[in-house]
Amino acid sequence: MVQIENKVVPPDKDVNNPHNNIKIILRFKFRKVGRLQYISHLDLVRTMNKIVVRSGLPLYYTEGFNPKPKMVFAAPLSIGTESYAEYMDLRLKDRVDPALAMKLLNRNMTDEMQAVECYYPDSKFTDMKWLSYSIKIHTVGASAELASECERTLTAERLEILKSTKSGEKLVDIRPLVRSASVVFDSGALNISCILSADQSSFLNPEYIVSALKEKCGILNDPDLTAEHYTVTRLSAFTEDMSPFR
Amino acid sequence: MQNKNVSSVLKSVQKPGRYIGGEYNSVIKDKASVKCRFAFCFPDTYEIGMSNLGVRILYDVINKDKDVWCERVYAPWTDMKEKMEEYSIPLTAVESGDPLTDFDMVAFSLQYELCYTTALAMLKLAGIPLYSKDRGEECPIIVGGGPCVYNAEPVADFFDLINVGEGEEVLLEICHLYNEMRDNGSYTREGFLREASHIEGVYIPSLYEVSYNEDGTLREYQPRYPDVPKTVKKRIVRDMDKAPYPEKLVMPYIETVHDRIVLEVYRGCIRGCRFCQAGMVYRPVREKSPETLCKQAKCLFDNTGYDEISLISLSISDYSELPKLTDDLLEWTDDAHVSLSLPSLRIDSFSEELMRKVSSVRTGGITFAPEAGTQRLRDVINKNVTEEDLMRSVGIAFRGGKSNVKLYFMNGLPTETLEDIEGIAELAKRVVGAYFKIPKPERPHGIGVTISVSCFVPKPFTPFQWERQNSFEELIEKQKHLKNSITDKHVRYTYHDARVSRIEAILARGDRRLAPAIALAVEEGAIFDAWDEYFDYDRWINVFERCGVDPDFYTTRGFGIDEVLPWDIIDVGVTKSFLKREREKAYAEKTTPSCAEHCSGCGANKLGGKTRWCK
Ligand code: SF4
Repeated sequence: MVQIENKVVPPDKDVNNPHNNIKIILRFKFRKVGRLQYISHLDLVRTMNKIVVRSGLPLYYTEGFNPKPKMVFAAPLSIGTESYAEYMDLRLKDRVDPALAMKLLNRNMTDEMQAVECYYPDSKFTDMKWLSYSIKIHTVGASAELASECERTLTAERLEILKSTKSGEKLVDIRPLVRSASVVFDSGALNISCILSADQSSFLNPEYIVSALKEKCGILNDPDLTAEHYTVTRLSAFTEDMSPFR
Repeated sequence: MQNKNVSSVLKSVQKPGRYIGGEYNSVIKDKASVKCRFAFCFPDTYEIGMSNLGVRILYDVINKDKDVWCERVYAPWTDMKEKMEEYSIPLTAVESGDPLTDFDMVAFSLQYELCYTTALAMLKLAGIPLYSKDRGEECPIIVGGGPCVYNAEPVADFFDLINVGEGEEVLLEICHLYNEMRDNGSYTREGFLREASHIEGVYIPSLYEVSYNEDGTLREYQPRYPDVPKTVKKRIVRDMDKAPYPEKLVMPYIETVHDRIVLEVYRGCIRGCRFCQAGMVYRPVREKSPETLCKQAKCLFDNTGYDEISLISLSISDYSELPKLTDDLLEWTDDAHVSLSLPSLRIDSFSEELMRKVSSVRTGGITFAPEAGTQRLRDVINKNVTEEDLMRSVGIAFRGGKSNVKLYFMNGLPTETLEDIEGIAELAKRVVGAYFKIPKPERPHGIGVTISVSCFVPKPFTPFQWERQNSFEELIEKQKHLKNSITDKHVRYTYHDARVSRIEAILARGDRRLAPAIALAVEEGAIFDAWDEYFDYDRWINVFERCGVDPDFYTTRGFGIDEVLPWDIIDVGVTKSFLKREREKAYAEKTTPSCAEHCSGCGANKLGGKTRWCK
């Protein structure tokens, strides 16, 4: 889960194709919230494929036997995470007005998935280094004390978790991948704000924060599945120096 | 399923995307301002249900009426079902998340007999009594429809109302009657059902008294009231060019079985294979014009963004304007990066042209269905293809670069002998031979021929409806014999589970006395019988025994030619005398020409409809 599969658009090889000389890439920042948290990344890609076709934008198709619109996504979400900071780079044949493109795309999506920004980017997805999340945990026995215990755990010198790797289970310290974390008790729930690594080589899935707390602070242990629950929301993306990713 | 507490449950099951709804093009209405809430249930998983063309059409048709809100319901997979039972979460509709008990009508599309247990399990999860007679005034009306209801008798006691035939028009008529009776205050459950029985294509099982002879065969169906029709006539759409067709499709987020545009080219089949129920019950053959089809295809593409259009019907190559249709479609599909596929090619229609034009033929595997191993038996079943046709087609396929060919056959067909079985092995061997006859540079590298053999199930409304099914032992014997007859190492052999076919035959040909056994199976946890991993033969045999049902009565016993049949209550268009004629011709090993060559007077033309061939 830590590895993300995020490929950067390879440089053009096909210089004979006039459309290929200048690569026109349009970036959409969009939300994927509510029920759509249960849609996997693979299904999102499949869905987006049809959305961009319906939008009528001048799409660039991949070459080969089974041509598909060319699109790339940043930092895939895992199932059960909502997000206000999803990014997609869509390759086009011709330049179009971003405001119009956003309108065309949004017309073809439901309210739970809508683009909020659209522009021709200067950055690469690899420039995205940090992602902020809000995690709300409704657990039996939630209290201000438990909140500070959780915060101490997340900000201690080491934060070791068991990870299954090819060579069996391994203790890994994920603390360097947590840039900051705070936990407050509010409206009956533990509210965690944290900034986690989004770097391609060391991406940290926020689910690990929840499982670390489960293990170390004994939360979310009720066998009744409906007694407790938690939500995870991705809020914003940042570059290395914590300026907003764009 | 929008209840907050369900979120942890959703995170704990496989593929939670099955349960969330919220799809693009799904229809949300204000429930306070509609008069009739209609739940369309598909008794299988979301992925299968969302692929069903009939349901997708009817969803759109019903929702075009502003007074009716049609929502979808699918069977929860077993992991979800367990959780729902554990936490008392009722079965809900995808759009509103409301439980089925909030609905006015709950309709089930019965596509295959083995889905019966799933349908009943869904009623149970919804907290709705299984038997029609146990439902009170406040209960939704439970409706059945789909291809199984040409003999719905085994499940008749569970349904309040059955829609026999095509639902595009009749379902709305039912809703309108319901709304009218609600509006003018005359509605009672009983009064509504009685009134509905007058609508063509509506069958109300509770309005008939069924009696049996001492030997266990049926004596008669007696309507309880004089105004209730003696037989229920199948409903058809008369003009396919004017039939309602969805312009928009609900777009699933998760991958479904047929994730593409499905274009129904015509209804019915001109061929008349004698084992095939679909070929009889969808008659008369009604085509859509290429103009209509092109318009629908373009409109659906614009509204969905799918990259594949699948042209479907029972035997697509029999469509009289196929070349025009494919040419017209290819005019824009290539530029739009949309590919065409044809799923049901007949052996005698396979051509180089189709291989060039149709990408599924170009890239997919090649499958042919000779159904029987010898010409004699192919004549008996009226599968009008010859060995020559097959050899020509596989030749084109091999030269076109195909290295794998799949051949479908059936075991246990009437009059079948061991010689016919050996014929299957020989035919496969000759297909291999056809490959080696092609000069090396012109054929692909390597060859594999797979023969896939299913077991014959005698189906209602076919010329073989009276036939006995081979016993389990006979079928196993035949499967073994075929295995031993295969000597060519390029031939692979797979076969269908004979036990499944036996249960299918019982459910397909059964009568109302099966109901307690089906209910008991559901009580004991049966669901998803159509899925190998959940099909439990021993449980079926066990419930039959406990409910006094003799499986042999419906399977290895042939039905008497003058016997009253459970499905005699339905008038499907095709007449019994035609079926009898066809049966005699089968025994005489005589074939019947297709409707395109010669109308053989099957009787379906009396249903009316705009057809090309019927006299
Ligand atoms: S009436 Fe004649 S042409 Fe029409 S479906 Fe029957 S056999 Fe075919």
